[in-house]
Amino acid sequence: MYPADLLKSLELVHSTRERRMAESLLRLEEQQRNELLKTYHPDYKDAAFRNLRVGANKGDRVTHEFADLLESFSDLDHARINLQPEFTTDVLVLGGGGAGVTAALFAESLGARVLLATKLRLGNSNTIMALGGMQASVAEEDSPLRHFADTMIAGNFAGSASLVKALVEDGPHIVKWLLDIGVNFDRNVLGNLATKKAGGLSAPRILSIGDHTGLNIMKVLKDEMRKSSRIELLEFTPAVELTTDADGACNGAILYDLGRRRHLAIQAKAVILATGGAGRLHNQGFPTSNNFGATGDAVVLAYRAGAGIEGMDSFQYHPTGVMFPDHMVGVLVTEAIRSLGAHLVNGNGERFVNELETRDLVAAAIIREVEGGRGVRTPSGKIGVWLDIPVLEELLEKGMLKKRFPSLFKQFRRVKIDITKRPLLIYPTLHYQNGGILIDERGESTVSNLFVAGEAAGGIHGRNRAMGNSLLDIFVFGRRAGLASAERRFAVPGSLSLNHVTRYYDRLKSLRISSVAKSPTLFPEFIVDKL
Amino acid sequence: MLTIELEGRKIKVPEGLTVIEALWDTGHDVKRGIGCLSGLCGACTVAYLEAGAQRVKFGLGCQTVVAEGMNVIMLPYFPSRMARYDMESMTSPLQELADHYPELATCNDCKACNICPEWIDVAGFVKTSREGGYESTAEKVMGCHMCGLCASRCPKSIAPQYVGLYIQRSCARQRPIPPNLAKRLEQMAVLAEDSEFAQVAALNQAELEVYCRKILDS
Ligand SMILES: Cc1cc2nc3c(=O)[nH]c(=O)nc-3n(C[C@H](O)[C@H](O)[C@H](O)COP(=O)(O)OP(=O)(O)OC[C@H]3O[C@@H](n4cnc5c(N)ncnc54)[C@H](O)[C@@H]3O)c2cc1C
Ligand code: FES
Repeated sequence: MYPADLLKSLELVHSTRERRMAESLLRLEEQQRNELLKTYHPDYKDAAFRNLRVGANKGDRVTHEFADLLESFSDLDHARINLQPEFTTDVLVLGGGGAGVTAALFAESLGARVLLATKLRLGNSNTIMALGGMQASVAEEDSPLRHFADTMIAGNFAGSASLVKALVEDGPHIVKWLLDIGVNFDRNVLGNLATKKAGGLSAPRILSIGDHTGLNIMKVLKDEMRKSSRIELLEFTPAVELTTDADGACNGAILYDLGRRRHLAIQAKAVILATGGAGRLHNQGFPTSNNFGATGDAVVLAYRAGAGIEGMDSFQYHPTGVMFPDHMVGVLVTEAIRSLGAHLVNGNGERFVNELETRDLVAAAIIREVEGGRGVRTPSGKIGVWLDIPVLEELLEKGMLKKRFPSLFKQFRRVKIDITKRPLLIYPTLHYQNGGILIDERGESTVSNLFVAGEAAGGIHGRNRAMGNSLLDIFVFGRRAGLASAERRFAVPGSLSLNHVTRYYDRLKSLRISSVAKSPTLFPEFIVDKL
Repeated sequence: MLTIELEGRKIKVPEGLTVIEALWDTGHDVKRGIGCLSGLCGACTVAYLEAGAQRVKFGLGCQTVVAEGMNVIMLPYFPSRMARYDMESMTSPLQELADHYPELATCNDCKACNICPEWIDVAGFVKTSREGGYESTAEKVMGCHMCGLCASRCPKSIAPQYVGLYIQRSCARQRPIPPNLAKRLEQMAVLAEDSEFAQVAALNQAELEVYCRKILDS
């Protein structure tokens, strides 16, 4: 239900709809694109970044939020902690989202014993929230090569060609695997997998399950995980530090049992970090679409252990995050809405960017409108622009929104906003960590026996991830990391140490860095901003 | 400020907070029962009684805004039996449904389970499941995020969410392989593209750009 002052602005959206439907907006020229990004995209706001003073990537530009975490100490008393392992396992998987569970399943399939520890309940993750879909080149007119080219171009050629090659070549095989374990991707009347187009894709390549794609994959993965007694699960037990052997290779982790409020050490022959992204760090004060546990812990843990990172100054701000009502601020409106032709409308009732431009450009254009005073203000002082969703019913067909976006429809039905009749107020929301911990094609980081998969890993998506590539990436590299780590199961892990942490802290101290931040963050500090 | 009863304790909270925010605001360090904070994952279910109401309602704590006089608790988990199986080893899992979930047959259609925060017609899909309308069940449970509230109401201890998932997976497995995927996998098996990909490794950044644009033009 919209309050009176927003209703007035809404009138304008309704009254200009017909005129807007007749308009077609030109795509931006290269120079305009660069100009727009430079001036308005948060990644280009120099004041929001600084160069790291310690570690493997000393000198690299990262966000203040990450620099604060990397240049700080942990709550853990590393000199006094008991390093006697409470559990020993072949493969320790940290994180229970799509990447972690996939890794666990494939490591188990080779006979490895697996322990999966996760921060919240298994499956509480960004994966379960993925709405729009997953890329894989299965359409007739498509090919892995096309997928490769699209992905490299979207990432502005900053992604690693060999990782992208792995991504696109595994794609169709991953789809086969998911179908085999009972994931029901949408099909067309011929029984073919239905493929949809999206911004920046040269062929229809998005596979989906209505608008609950991640949910329906995660449900099946969780169920599948219970089939084997070789996989053990520890919920509500986040990792707070990795451990290393005398040579600096990874051989376990320190976990924190949230219920018992105590630490426990785990020894493993290989460790897979799959703890996801970092939206809850709220870069530059942006709202986020991410789940409660997305606090970038993997990067902190791996970096202290000496792993190289990449692209930690590049984040995806999804153009369409909810701005009203207050308790939904940051919640994602799927890109599929824009792909189908919904309009973005400013406070003057005008469209201001071709909605099919890539995410970074559309986000920058929205910020430009708001900073230029053409936004719409909510009663609590938040500012956004309108996403005219009802126009889709006129452009396409009546009744299509409820049919094709049941999840979105229900989310807003709860707050008495009928998306078939009312536009939504939106603003960019912090959505995805484009960079992460550097990996090779097997998923191994620059620290031996430390594997990384999913959003925590870097080097795949370059400076901008295309829609649907993340869901694919978590299964491709989850699988690869799972298989490669299982091969280490015959190794003998040395005794656990936190020597890398001591060394890292010594560096911090020698630079007179005495930070007050404690890392990893684990849980966001909740400032209920209505108070 | 509003006065509400939160986890069995009368307390004042500011207006406009969700149940979860109200818990945080009043010093409850809740983590269990919190997931997406977007109304998508079902981790945060709550049971509440509105002022003057007689019937307990159920909802998502991250999306339910507290109101004057509301009496609310979190109900983030409910124990229900879940069968263990290895679906890939079964040839026709749907025929084994009754072995894994025998209690399904005891349903007497009392409809107590119809309290879904996603408005899923739970009693409806339990009925189609009993009667063999599996595809219809699979369709109906697409939006189910397994919060388990329905199971908490069942006098026969049926867990509709697990039954639904079993059927959903089984139906998906029984469908033939999609022709377009089969064709792509065949093409890839003959490695037509691998030789082309081999070139990629040797390219420098500028050449790579030209190469990618060329693919898209072709
Ligand atoms: C709202 C939304 C919609 C999206 N839609 C799409 C889409 O349509 N298509 C697409 O391709 N991508 C989409 N994405 C992106 C994609 O879903 C994620 O990038 C991807 O699922 C990440 O998977 P993951 O397994 O790496 O991380 P996650 O799924 O986030 O899992 C990480 C897990 O690690 C746990 N964890 C965190 N810290 C620790 C710790 N210290 N110790 C132990 N465990 C820890 C978390 O609790 C969580 O369970 C979307 C993202 C969001 C937020
Ligand atoms: S926390 Fe996911 S639905 Fe509320």
